[in-house]
Amino acid sequence: MTDIKHHAYLFDATRCIDCRACMVACSVENNIEMDKTRIWVAGLGVTGEYPNLQRSTMVYHCMHCEHPDCMSACPVGAYTKAPDGPVSYNPDVCIGCRYCMNACPFGVPHFDYDKGIIDGAFIDKCTFCPQRIYNGQEPACVQTCPTDALEYGDRDELIKRAHERIAAHPDRYINHVYGEHENGGTSYLIISHVPFKDLGLPELPETPINEVSEKVMEMTIPFALSWGAVLTAVTVGVAAYEKKNGKGKAEQTK
Amino acid sequence: MKLNITLPKFLRIGTLPLILILFMAIAFVVAMMRYAFGIGAISDLSYSYPWGFWISFDLFTGVVISSGGFLMAGTVYILRIKEFEPLLRPSILTAFLGYIMVAVALLVDLGQPLRIWYMMIHWNHTSVLLEIGICVMSYLTVLAIEFTPVVLERFPKLHKVAHLIHKFIMPFVILGVVLSTLHQSSLGSLLLIQPQKLHPLWWTPILPILFFSSAVTVGMAMIIFESTLSSRYFQRGLETHLLAKLAKGLPVALGFYLVLKFGELAVAGDLGYLFTSGVMSALFWAEILIGAVIPLIWFSIEKNRANPNRLFAGAVILLLGMILNRFNVSWFAVKHPDPLFYMPTFMGNVKYFPTLPEVAVSIGIFSAGIMAFGLIAKYFPVFEAEHETEETHAPVRRLHPAPTAADD
Amino acid sequence: MTKTISRRDFLKLGAAGAGALALGSMLPPKVAEAARAAGTIDAEGNGFVHSMCEMCVWRCGLIAKVVNGRVVKLDGNPEHEHSRGNLCPRGQSGLMNTYDPDRVLTPLIRVGKRGEGLFRPASWDEALDLVARNMLAIKEKYGAEAMVFSSTHNLSQPLFENLLYAFGSPNYGTQRSLCFNAMIVSNLMTYGMEEPARIYDDKLKYIILTGRNLLEAISTSETHDLIMAIDRGAKVVYLDPRYTKTASKAAEWLPVKPGMDLAFHLALLHVIIRERLYNRWFVEQHTVGFDELKKEVMRYTPEWAAPLTGISAETITRIAREFAKAAPHALAHNGWRTSNFVNSFHTQRAISILNALVGNWNVTMTAAAEEGAGLGAPPQPPYPRVSALRLDGVPWKYPVVPFKLGVFQELRDNIVKGEPYQAHGWFISRQNPIMSLPDRAKTLEAFGKMDFIVTVDIIMNDTAWFSDVVLPEASYLERYDPLLPVGDKAFIRQPVIEPQGEAKSALWIYKQLGERLGLGDYFQYEDEEDYLRQQLAPLGADLEEVKKKGYAEMPESEHAGFTWNTPSGKIELYSDTLAKVGFPGVPTWEEPPQPKEGQFYLLTGKVAQSTQFGTQNNQLLHKYSDEPRLWMNAKTAASLGLATDDWVEVASEVGQIHIKLLATEAIRPDCVYLTPGYGHLSKGLKTAYGVGASDSVVHVTYTDPISGSQALSQTFVTVRKA
Ligand SMILES: Nc1nc2c(c(=O)[nH]1)N[C@H]1C(S)=C(S)[C@@H](COP(=O)(O)OP(=O)(O)OC[C@H]3O[C@@H](n4cnc5c(=O)[nH]c(N)nc54)[C@H](O)[C@@H]3O)O[C@H]1N2
Ligand SMILES: Nc1nc2c(c(=O)[nH]1)N[C@H]1C(S)=C(S)[C@@H](COP(=O)(O)OP(=O)(O)OC[C@H]3O[C@@H](n4cnc5c(=O)[nH]c(N)nc54)[C@H](O)[C@@H]3O)O[C@H]1N2
Ligand code: SF4
Ligand code: SF4
Ligand code: SF4
Ligand code: SF4
Ligand code: SF4
Ligand SMILES: [Mo]
Repeated sequence: MTDIKHHAYLFDATRCIDCRACMVACSVENNIEMDKTRIWVAGLGVTGEYPNLQRSTMVYHCMHCEHPDCMSACPVGAYTKAPDGPVSYNPDVCIGCRYCMNACPFGVPHFDYDKGIIDGAFIDKCTFCPQRIYNGQEPACVQTCPTDALEYGDRDELIKRAHERIAAHPDRYINHVYGEHENGGTSYLIISHVPFKDLGLPELPETPINEVSEKVMEMTIPFALSWGAVLTAVTVGVAAYEKKNGKGKAEQTK
Repeated sequence: MKLNITLPKFLRIGTLPLILILFMAIAFVVAMMRYAFGIGAISDLSYSYPWGFWISFDLFTGVVISSGGFLMAGTVYILRIKEFEPLLRPSILTAFLGYIMVAVALLVDLGQPLRIWYMMIHWNHTSVLLEIGICVMSYLTVLAIEFTPVVLERFPKLHKVAHLIHKFIMPFVILGVVLSTLHQSSLGSLLLIQPQKLHPLWWTPILPILFFSSAVTVGMAMIIFESTLSSRYFQRGLETHLLAKLAKGLPVALGFYLVLKFGELAVAGDLGYLFTSGVMSALFWAEILIGAVIPLIWFSIEKNRANPNRLFAGAVILLLGMILNRFNVSWFAVKHPDPLFYMPTFMGNVKYFPTLPEVAVSIGIFSAGIMAFGLIAKYFPVFEAEHETEETHAPVRRLHPAPTAADD
Repeated sequence: MTKTISRRDFLKLGAAGAGALALGSMLPPKVAEAARAAGTIDAEGNGFVHSMCEMCVWRCGLIAKVVNGRVVKLDGNPEHEHSRGNLCPRGQSGLMNTYDPDRVLTPLIRVGKRGEGLFRPASWDEALDLVARNMLAIKEKYGAEAMVFSSTHNLSQPLFENLLYAFGSPNYGTQRSLCFNAMIVSNLMTYGMEEPARIYDDKLKYIILTGRNLLEAISTSETHDLIMAIDRGAKVVYLDPRYTKTASKAAEWLPVKPGMDLAFHLALLHVIIRERLYNRWFVEQHTVGFDELKKEVMRYTPEWAAPLTGISAETITRIAREFAKAAPHALAHNGWRTSNFVNSFHTQRAISILNALVGNWNVTMTAAAEEGAGLGAPPQPPYPRVSALRLDGVPWKYPVVPFKLGVFQELRDNIVKGEPYQAHGWFISRQNPIMSLPDRAKTLEAFGKMDFIVTVDIIMNDTAWFSDVVLPEASYLERYDPLLPVGDKAFIRQPVIEPQGEAKSALWIYKQLGERLGLGDYFQYEDEEDYLRQQLAPLGADLEEVKKKGYAEMPESEHAGFTWNTPSGKIELYSDTLAKVGFPGVPTWEEPPQPKEGQFYLLTGKVAQSTQFGTQNNQLLHKYSDEPRLWMNAKTAASLGLATDDWVEVASEVGQIHIKLLATEAIRPDCVYLTPGYGHLSKGLKTAYGVGASDSVVHVTYTDPISGSQALSQTFVTVRKA
């Protein structure tokens, strides 16, 4: 096993045959309940008019963003971004507010809508199979893929490989590696022969989405303190003014 | 024929309270189902729609319509505009109950309601929701403190304590205003993280400022709204002159809000969406016209401010528009994953429509709020001026013997 | 919303032990003793065991992860040439077949009427005694030939064959005539071998796939090969009336009119010969019959083929030229389930010949290693001579169909007719003829003629449901099977867990039964391990080592080079064998029947998430399967006033079914398609029962007179709103 500094996947939409082996593999490996999944297919299916048809699919799971919005949003810090890639979720602190689901631009985190308070309702999402990748195995979904549409490796190397593949077949691929820069970069990289939006991927800026809200959050305490100071000053000022003018302003107007 | 059964007085319940109790009971049953079988059992929330009616109504609407509390506290205590004092206590009570309702609703909506307090110990400082959570919880405490004197005044022996609290009220008032400012605006910041989901007519980095300025207008309108209603229900004199004064401020606040909103759209180059986004454009214009433009004009007219009925009508219009705004940003204008996701079927729900039980929960909680307001107003001196200056006096008698909710 | 989904909780099933649940008791998991002895599973029942997938006949190598004596994950074995570390969705889901709550885990004896599904559990002794008694009684009364045996390809098949040949019956039904008879017979006639191996090397430039939906009808390594070839830039031309997932990856999709593939390929031969694009050296050196071929195909111009196939003459001509230009790095794939039309044999011959003409031999195709060669076997006496005619018409009606292929649908028909004689008993193993044969009503009629039916299966499949005795085999994760050589390695299937309930391996069952039938000499092994040791003996390999490693090294088999096992020793473009029995010696146009106005071709074809008729009850596969619906071209549907999700009635001359419609652009306007394998009759399949409808109900039986293939696309149906 080569040394992987930053765990990542590369998905090649030209290779995926929508066989769903990856999904079955994930369900088994991670004991996912029968009515849930961490990985699914997105895409428009068959488009066009007979006999001029196209079909493309993409396998969708957590992008393991470099600047995860789920993590930024979660009030109780249930998400962690490991320095070497994986974004993980800790059910022990989750309060079930589902803000992470709103925050994730990829609609990845899922929630136990079918669980009462005795079972406990949690968020679930792809974990990057830490039990496998830290034991020298590929993630279950990647390992099983019969067409190598899913590959796993070091992020830098995969980005290189993706660009090489595009360069080798410029006619086949769209000249872009999705996830290299989107949302500040993701650890799930995608190359494709059809526009990425046809694969269900959102158009995202290169700056992380959460930059704006995080900036606002940074301003909160300073703002609160200054606002408090202003209000105190006003209070003191008004009181002093009233004293000076003998009576309360209110009573004057009465 | 006449039934000669007379219920003991305390068992006689009026029609309105009866209806409220019924709603509460329904909500209670639904909530129990939710706790037993999960949120999915009673709502239409799904993978694609994690937030729905509850968040739009209970959280976004609930919080904004409670903004009268901090406005009045600021006006009366900080700016010492004492003439508004009669409006202070009802506003604080409304806010207090409003926030409790928010909290109760969250206890239904949260997946792990028993862990709501985790927000106090597990802090993720980048989370807007955390800020809101902390602010709301703290503000509830502040409101409780602000309202305690009212409760204590009811008991002559505790007047001393009430007085003591009053003496040290200022820091709490200031804290309350700060907290309110923070979370009223942060409710807008909550949506900053979904630029690609929220329609560009609504998404802007200045969402927090828009939220705050609109909250101010809503606060004013709420005071008008709720004073009018309670004056009728409790057959109390209406402080029309005060409300009129308040209403005078509305066009200014609304004007400011409109300038900000359209200014931002212009700067961001999003003006084009105003007419090209179909339903979204319509929703936008609806909230702008109903929530801001019409009220702005309405309240600019002196005649409308002088007449209690017209004041009330204006407030209702503004509230409807602004509530629509809150629904728009938190629900209608939020784009969710679409039919691209065709596998597997159990993730396929890309349409959301609140279920009856879902709405029933909110109605029940709302009913409880109204009920609580009625009971508290009946048993505690809510509609009386504070008499901090006339320390020696016991609370003044009621101006009118207030008919109680239970006598209706 | 989650509320539409019944809550089948894999986690909980896993924890309680599905098998145990079915037995109504909670048995502690049993760690596979053999694996423990081999040291692959530790004392706590944790470890990794090498074995082999049996979710389809490709038999990929797998490594099973065992925790506390339970299989929790299967991964592809990187050392196995068929898996290369990957498993297809069915392979991934395999453990759910083993832990299916609907497993049959004890021998069952029917107590109700046939098809009522009422059984009582029995001991192996009782069940086997009963089976033996009935078989012997039938032999006594009507002769051994009155016992019919049938089974679909599996590793213990040699022992199954021992059972039937030693018993003395000539009647052997296999899936082959429903599957690939046309391809096998054509290759035998052309190359003298069943199925030449295909080579997808780096240089492969051009592939013609004739209805070989390799990206859905998955064979893991070959599917991988195809995608990698495309990735390297090989051009794929794909003929299918449907826009399948394979079509979507092909450079060119030709929605050929069903059954007209023959015309297309004849025209290819025509262009290649007319334009002298063939490899003259190769043809001269290694083939016979070029002149006869040339004479015949001169009639088949692209202009002639165009209106038949719906593919323009230019396209056909261009493809012929491109193919010949790419040769020998070109491959015309024979296809696998080639039983489409009564002319399929000729289509297959044309494809085989196409490869030969351009000299692809030993470049993109070569001789396949013989199955089982090089391994030992227990000694056994010769089989008794059998003089009775075969019920399936081989060879008296189908002179060139090999015995081991047979003509299953004919066998069934003759059971119904009672000609040339009446059969009375049916022994079925690892097969679901009620679903796989065309015309289900007729198959049930054949069942009705039987005094006695016994089925060996792992679940209550439809055939078991209609049987008198059901014998539960241990699943492929619970048993040993004979070794399977792939390349230069012989792979082992070994128990990953101990069999649940009373299930037993086929090796054990057949031996037990053999002894009760007085045929013990044909089963000279102590137990499964002893059988494997005898197999390994010539290799000098130690079983314990093999268990650990997963395979034994085999001596490299020599390549055939340029010799063929045909009468002439060469590739036979013209076959004397065929001519002698009255069939055309070269591929010849045979017009297939076409639907009448208002009728549609009914197509069948695999999906990646199920295998034939035996995996629809697998909950994991069910989870990720599309709902089976009748595909109909969107415009055709609109013109008939039909829309997606409308219920429709699909009717042929033999039956009718109700199914939901899927209006899609992805199919020819004159065809409809239905996923096979649904519409089960057995209520013992709780997950699958009630899902979809069975195309076998409407399939009409037509047999290719040369290869004996059932023509599975030759059923014409009407569709109307139900
Ligand atoms: N996932 C999965 N994989 C499997 C199997 C499985 O059950 N499931 N089964 C295995 C077995 S036993 C076999 S035999 C192979 C079969 O694999 P394939 O040979 O690929 O056979 P099918 O999928 O049955 O049919 C292939 C295609 O033939 C098309 N077709 C129908 N009629 C015609 C025609 O007249 N002309 C042309 N050109 N095309 C036609 C159908 O539309 C269908 O798409 O798959 C093997 N692999
Ligand atoms: N309509 C239609 N008919 C078809 C086809 C089609 O595509 N459409 N395809 C044709 C083709 S290509 C083929 S190959 C045939 C296949 O036809 P069959 O061989 O009759 O069908 P299978 O479903 O493969 O039958 C396998 C049976 O073995 C059982 N089984 C699974 N594992 C084991 C095991 O370990 N031990 C035992 N004893 N039993 C086990 C399964 O439960 C199942 O009942 O069908 C043909 N018929
Ligand atoms: S894809 Fe969504 S859940 Fe995954 S890391 Fe990014 S934001 Fe978080
Ligand atoms: S649902 Fe849980 S993980 Fe998601 S944001 Fe809320 S607390 Fe965090
Ligand atoms: S990495 Fe693991 S958890 Fe994530 S989708 Fe793949 S198999 Fe599932
Ligand atoms: S296993 Fe590979 S080819 Fe199959 S659906 Fe998943 S990514 Fe696509
Ligand atoms: S192709 Fe799939 S089902 Fe067949 S043996 Fe391989 S993994 Fe198993
Ligand atoms: Mo087959």
